[in-house]
Amino acid sequence: MRNSNQYNNSITISLERPKSIFRLNLGKNWFKFSRNTLSTIGLVIVVVIIVSAILAPWITPYPEHAGPFVDFDNTGQSPSLQHLCGTDNIGRDIFSRIIFAFRGALIMAVLVLAIAVPPGVLLGLIAGYLQNTWIDTVIMRITDIFLSVPPLILALAIAAMLKPTLMNAMIAVTVMWWPWYTRLVYGMASSVRNEYFVIAADLMGAGKFHILFREILPNCLSPVFTKMALDVGWVILIGASLSFVGLGEQPPIPALGQMVSDGARYMPTFWWMTIFPALAIVLTILGFNLMGDGIRDMLETGVE
Amino acid sequence: MEQATNNEILKIEKLKKYFHIGKGKKGPIYVHAVDGITLNIKHGETLGLVGESGSGKSTIAYTVVGMYRPTSGQIMFKGKNIGIEASKRSLSSKKEIQIVFQDPGSSLNPRQTIEQILALPFRIHTQMPKRQFREKMVELLEKVELSPDYLYKSPPSIGGGEKQMVAIARAMAPNPSLIILDEPTSALDVSVQAKIINKLIDLQKEMNLTYLFITHDLSLMRNVANRISIMYLGKICEVAESVTFFEKPLHPYTQMLISSVPVITEEEENLKPQKVISIGEIPSPVNIPTGCSFHLRCPYKIPICSKVDPEMIEFSPGHIVRCHLFAKLETKKE
Amino acid sequence: MKTEENILLNIKDLHVWYRVYGGYLKVLNGVHLMVREGERVGLVGEAGCGKTTTMKSILQILPPGDFHIPRGQIFYKGQDVLKMNFKEIQSLRSREIAMIFQDPTTALNPVFTIGSQIGAVIKYSATFEESVHKEKIKTQSIKALKEVYLPDPERMCINYPFQLSGGMRQRVCIAMAISSPRNLLIADEPGTSLDVTIQDQIHRLLNELVEKRNTAIILITHSLGVAREMTDRIYVMYAGTIVETTTPEVLFKNPVHPYTKGLLASVPKISGGGIAKGIPGKLPSYLNPPSGCRFRLRCEQESPICLEEPPQLFEIEKDHLVACYLTQR
Repeated sequence: MRNSNQYNNSITISLERPKSIFRLNLGKNWFKFSRNTLSTIGLVIVVVIIVSAILAPWITPYPEHAGPFVDFDNTGQSPSLQHLCGTDNIGRDIFSRIIFAFRGALIMAVLVLAIAVPPGVLLGLIAGYLQNTWIDTVIMRITDIFLSVPPLILALAIAAMLKPTLMNAMIAVTVMWWPWYTRLVYGMASSVRNEYFVIAADLMGAGKFHILFREILPNCLSPVFTKMALDVGWVILIGASLSFVGLGEQPPIPALGQMVSDGARYMPTFWWMTIFPALAIVLTILGFNLMGDGIRDMLETGVE
Repeated sequence: MEQATNNEILKIEKLKKYFHIGKGKKGPIYVHAVDGITLNIKHGETLGLVGESGSGKSTIAYTVVGMYRPTSGQIMFKGKNIGIEASKRSLSSKKEIQIVFQDPGSSLNPRQTIEQILALPFRIHTQMPKRQFREKMVELLEKVELSPDYLYKSPPSIGGGEKQMVAIARAMAPNPSLIILDEPTSALDVSVQAKIINKLIDLQKEMNLTYLFITHDLSLMRNVANRISIMYLGKICEVAESVTFFEKPLHPYTQMLISSVPVITEEEENLKPQKVISIGEIPSPVNIPTGCSFHLRCPYKIPICSKVDPEMIEFSPGHIVRCHLFAKLETKKE
Repeated sequence: MKTEENILLNIKDLHVWYRVYGGYLKVLNGVHLMVREGERVGLVGEAGCGKTTTMKSILQILPPGDFHIPRGQIFYKGQDVLKMNFKEIQSLRSREIAMIFQDPTTALNPVFTIGSQIGAVIKYSATFEESVHKEKIKTQSIKALKEVYLPDPERMCINYPFQLSGGMRQRVCIAMAISSPRNLLIADEPGTSLDVTIQDQIHRLLNELVEKRNTAIILITHSLGVAREMTDRIYVMYAGTIVETTTPEVLFKNPVHPYTKGLLASVPKISGGGIAKGIPGKLPSYLNPPSGCRFRLRCEQESPICLEEPPQLFEIEKDHLVACYLTQR
């Protein structure tokens, strides 16, 4: 296979970068993902939720019910064709409110993860690389402290200290979310740093920045992405728990937990007021969890 | 025997590397991985290092390249003392000594492309601007007979032999003087091995390299190394020119290993010394027997072997052996 | 050819495909292999040529759902394994054929003691009628451990795998394979991950056990020297096909297939003389394998007929079969 004289100075022009240079490899990744039917179902659920949340004002039957709206003539309607999930105690369409509630939930989840994950990963990376030094001890013990506090209680405490708004609920959840990523990345980083390719880079003379971010970090990210996919579901649940006790979005903006709690006192006669929002929460978490399995399968590196 | 000549690129003197593994009743327990090695490598030669697992051969490699700090002893490279960890070494020492590891799968970052892997040595050790990297990388890949489109591939999608070629290309990139090859083909098939070994030999001539070649495969060693040294439990047993090593092995351990090499021709069978079967497990480098470390497995042992550790003796020019059986011979000569 | 009666395993024209992104990996392309009672068969070939796939097909342990067998039969004692029901296959695995895997560390369960793991093998190998007593299991386990020369077998039974060295673990795996009488052992590169002198000991041990019990063995190795010393017949495999098979004496003196010749030339010799250049090229892609002979792209003697059909094994002299058109004049 010798082609020695074929290459001259026009190398840089004639070489074609393959299409998959951005490593998306969509076709192959979809193949890996879709092997598992359940995760495909999860993906479908997630996509439906996200799309409906984005298009909420245009696809819900009663978009105005998600704002200040009152219709005492239509209160307590059971599920029907006009109101798929019935109406609540002020006459608002529950189905539309659920879709709008997804908006708040998703925005919160995305923002929480966007803010909590990078510092968590960074701390875990540094602690794992500097394992068995005082930096490692300090970082991990602080992490342990945060992890030892029951998450919901911490979130409640913080949200109760500040005013009960969505923003503050988010802050509360963010503060207790990063340690999981630190621990996750710590485990991976401390074993990756002993791999021969890291040692090779070190022996070659690479600086610490290169070793941390170009050698070790890329090998720690698969479980991080998988966890992020799963965490969207869990953040939504925590958010719902907070709004259940009144700490979160304030009425009239709909929030899933709040809808559950509002409807609870009308059980069992007006069961749809609680059950449908609760089902929505369950479906969301189920969808993200199932999808998370598929993401994990997709990100596994094996022999290709 | 140990005169410093200008010809020697690497001089290892009385190198010891002990690893602390805990506390025993009598005090801390150490693994005597390398227990007093004196070895020289001449410029341009291939020195072979042979031994079982636990003999310390990889530890020597790792200490020379800077992964470990010697417990005692000296390592001189081109006259400079490099017996310190890599992190404390100068950039030029890192450039001059390169290593190729045994397992190509774990010595290349699976999340990088070959281009990124090869860019590192260029970035660190040359002043070249980035635009010229690509050209140099293609040249390098050509040298190891890989086509330029390998630049965009990443390790998991290429075969073991090709990965090892990339590892070799990476080692050659900074233009080193000494390359340590730690069992570079042990994980590969015979036909791939042949290709890589031949390539290594060609490159050695072309780029004027010196090799420290470590393997357990004696037949391979015979065809690759100029001189061979054999190790047992952290000490060198015998050093000789390749041909002498196989034609006139002196140390009982050498004879034992050569006699159990699986061969495929009658011709080779006839060259092997009489069969000496090794008994029992390899003793661990923690509980080293007193006296000669090999005496428990030696079929020719004499009383002194269990009491005194033998010295290295020059049996004939260039042929060194560490065994009481030959010490008597030398004193008889005098 | 010898009589048909004592043929234990007969693989005929086996094709195995794996389902992957982009189609099928057509790994095995017509494997023919025969093992007689008590025969030591060596299977030699480079990594990725399909040796392990073939062995896994015999025991039906290929990854479920991802493989497809378009053609081929595996006859064990006259019965086609590929058509067996679950119970018959279980009986095959627990009483007839035992496999010794390449990496002893992953072959042993780290959370169970050695004794319980060997005991499990013995327990499941007993037929329904003769359910085995705990005491008998224990004595049989210790006997098996003794046969592989493990020191202090009673103590060994309560040890965990992590307490043993690699060589000892491999011996435990062998003990598990011989703990009850078997007709066929499959050893997949035993000791490859271990030191070469330990590998040597393991091979000798297997040899001794096999001769003592007249068990047949398929020894997969890529060391030709080992194959030469410890087999009665060698099958050379390339890219999912058997290219040559004969006795070791004949194979090493008179290799016929270009691949075998190239392979033997690449083996370093202790008599010196350098190493041949190896065989140019590499294994073909299984996704789009070349038509006809799979070796033709690397063969110096390629001729037009090689493109059409894959060559079949052809007996060029007594007991020496080669799959190459150029030798079938």
